[in-house]
Amino acid sequence: MMFKKKMVMSLIAVLAILSVATMTQAAPPAGFDDNEIRIGQWGPQTGPAAPWGSVARGSKLLFDVVNEEGGINGRKIKYFIRDDMYNPAQTVAVVKELVERQGMFAFVGGVGAACGMAVKDYLAANKIPWVGPSAADQDFVNPLNPYLFAVYPLYRDEANILTKYIVDKLKMKKIGILYQNDAYGKDGLEGAKERLATYKMGLVAEIPVEPTEKDLASQILRLKNSGAEAVLMYVNPTAAVIALKTSANVGFKPQWVSANTLSDYPLMFKITGGLFEGVITGAFGEIPDSKNPLMVKYRDAAKRLNPQERWGTFYYAGILFADPIVEALKKAGRNLSADAVMKALNSIKDYQTIGPKITWTEKQHQGTDSVMIQKCGPNASYIQLQGWTSNDLATWKK
Amino acid sequence: MVEGLAIGACYGLFATAVVIIYKTSEVVNFAQGEMAMFSAFVAFHILSVYEWPFWAAFVITMIFSILLGILIEYLFLRPAKHPSILGLIVITLGVEMLLMGLAGWKWGAEQKYFSLPLNPSVTYEPVKGMIVTNWAIAVFAVTAFIMLFLYVFFKYSKLGIAMRATQQNKHAAKIMGIRTERVFSFAWGFSSLIGAVAGMFFASRATLDPAFMMEPFMRAFAAAYWGGLMSIPGVIIGGGLMGLIENFFGYYWPHWKPIVAFIVIILVLCVRPSGLFAKHFVKKV
Repeated sequence: MMFKKKMVMSLIAVLAILSVATMTQAAPPAGFDDNEIRIGQWGPQTGPAAPWGSVARGSKLLFDVVNEEGGINGRKIKYFIRDDMYNPAQTVAVVKELVERQGMFAFVGGVGAACGMAVKDYLAANKIPWVGPSAADQDFVNPLNPYLFAVYPLYRDEANILTKYIVDKLKMKKIGILYQNDAYGKDGLEGAKERLATYKMGLVAEIPVEPTEKDLASQILRLKNSGAEAVLMYVNPTAAVIALKTSANVGFKPQWVSANTLSDYPLMFKITGGLFEGVITGAFGEIPDSKNPLMVKYRDAAKRLNPQERWGTFYYAGILFADPIVEALKKAGRNLSADAVMKALNSIKDYQTIGPKITWTEKQHQGTDSVMIQKCGPNASYIQLQGWTSNDLATWKK
Repeated sequence: MVEGLAIGACYGLFATAVVIIYKTSEVVNFAQGEMAMFSAFVAFHILSVYEWPFWAAFVITMIFSILLGILIEYLFLRPAKHPSILGLIVITLGVEMLLMGLAGWKWGAEQKYFSLPLNPSVTYEPVKGMIVTNWAIAVFAVTAFIMLFLYVFFKYSKLGIAMRATQQNKHAAKIMGIRTERVFSFAWGFSSLIGAVAGMFFASRATLDPAFMMEPFMRAFAAAYWGGLMSIPGVIIGGGLMGLIENFFGYYWPHWKPIVAFIVIILVLCVRPSGLFAKHFVKKV
C-alpha cells in the first residue's frame, strides 16, 4: 500500500516537473521590437578569470556609441551583460535566462572556449546568431555551425605566422615551445610544426605544461640545454610569469614569442616585474595608441563614457568582436528579421574596423586567418613589428 | 637539481605547517593554503599600498598570520559541538572557501606581482652546471632554521611536550593539567606563520592571486604523507625527495611531471600506509 502511494506521489512529482519544463520550452520571446534590439554577452566579471571580463564591457562601449549616434534604423540596442564566473554550468544558466525571459536577438563575444561550447548548440537550436566568440576553438567553426560567426584568429594560424616571422625575420633556426597541455597549447604546437615542416626543420624542444603547475625549473633547464634561440609560449599568464622568472634565474635569455593571449602588456609587465620587456606576441587588434581613425574615435568615447576602465587590449577586443553584428543589422534595414541578419552576416566580405579583415560565407564561418605581430617595449609600451599578416598554410580555407 | 631540492624544501616547509596542526589535533587543515595566500596578500598590501619597507611588512605579516591562525581556530573549530575529525576537516574546507572569497573580494582575481628582496640575477655556480639562486639559498636557510627551532621546541619546551601529549590523548592531557585549548591556539598560530613564510616563497616564484596556493598545498600534502604526517624531519625529506623526483621527470619526461608525485603517494599508501618515516602508529581504543 505504502509502496503504491509512494509511486503515485513520485509520478505526480515527475509530471509536475515535466509540465514546468515543457512550459519553458515554449517559443522564447522575440529578440526585438519597434524600439529596441536585445543583444547579450556572458563573461567573467568575478572569479579567477575576471581580468578577461573587460571584453564584455568593451562591447558595451560600442553599443553605447551606436545608440548615441541614433541607433540602427530607428532602433536602439539594449545590451545585457551576465556574469558566468568562467564556469560553463553558469554560462548555460545565464544564457537560458536571457533567451527565455528577456528574449535575445543575438549574442556577441563570450569569454572562454569551454563556456562557449556549453551553449553553442543551445543558441543554434533557438536560431540565435552568436558573433565573435572571445576564444579560438576549431570546434566552433569545424564542422560549420550556421549560427556561429568567428572573428578570433585560430591559435594554429597564429603559431604558423609567428614561426614564419622567427625564421624569416629574426633568422633564428633553433626554436623551442612551451605549451599548455590542452587544446589551446596543442593548436599552437601544431601550427609551429606545420610551418617548420615547410623549411624542413623541427622544434628543438617541445615542453608541455599543466595550467596549474607552479614550478618550471626542470622544463626551463631542458629548453636551455636544447640551445633554443627562440621559444614560443602557448601558456596562461601565471605560467608565463614562472617561465620568465625561472629563465632569468638560470641565465637563459631566448627571444620569447607568445600567443595573443598574453598581449595585455601592462598586465604582463607588472606581474613579471618588467621581465616581459622584449617579448614578441601575436595580436588580434591594433596597438592601444594606434592612429587608426576608428581607434581614436573609440578611445575618446571610452574616456568620456567609461573613464574608470583601463584602455587595454581585451577591453577594445570587445568592440572588434561585436562590430560585425552592428554592420549586419545596418544592412538588414528597418524591416528586421533573423533571416535578414543571417543573410547579411553570411555576405560580410573584407570587413575591417580595428581588428583583422573579416569574411564569412554560407560555407565558412572562420572570419580571418590574420594576426599582427607586436613587441613589448620599455614600460609596457607597444611596438608594432608587422601589420596584418595572413597564414598561407591555413588548412581550413581549402 | 639544486632548484628541485629548493622547491622540495619549500613544499616540505609548507607541509610542516600541515603537520603541526595534524600532530596536535589529527585534523588535516585544508584551509592551510588559503591562510598562507591571505597572509601573502597582506604582505603585498603593506608593500604596494602603504609602501613600507620589506622587513616591516614581513614582521607585520608574521604577526597577522599568527593572529589569523588563532582566530580561525577560535571562531570556527572550537565552537563545533561533539566534533568528529571528519566534521572538523569539513570546517577547514569551509574556511578555505571563505578566505578565497574574501581575498577575491578585497584584492580581485587579477594576478599580482610579489617579490622578495632577493636579486634574481645574482646566482652562484660552485660546480660547473650547478646553478644556485638566491631564492634557493633563502629557502634552505629558512627551512633549516625552522626545523632546528621545531626540534628543540618539541623535544625540550614545556609547550612542545604539552602539544605532543594533547595529540596522544586529549582527555588524559586535560586531566594532567594541560590547557588543551591553549595548545590548539598555539598550534594554529604557529602553523599559520610557517605557512605564510612558505606562501611568500611560492608567490615570489610565480604570481599572487586568490587561487595560487591550491596546487602547492596538494603537493605539500603529498610530501607530508610521504613523511607520515607525524614526523617533521620526515616531511622535509619527503618534500625534498618529491622536488627531486618531479624535476627529474620534468627534465626527461615533462608529460609525467604533474602526476608522478601522486602516483608515488598511492604506492607509499599501499606499501607503508603510515608513511615512509613514521613509526608505525596504532591508536588503541
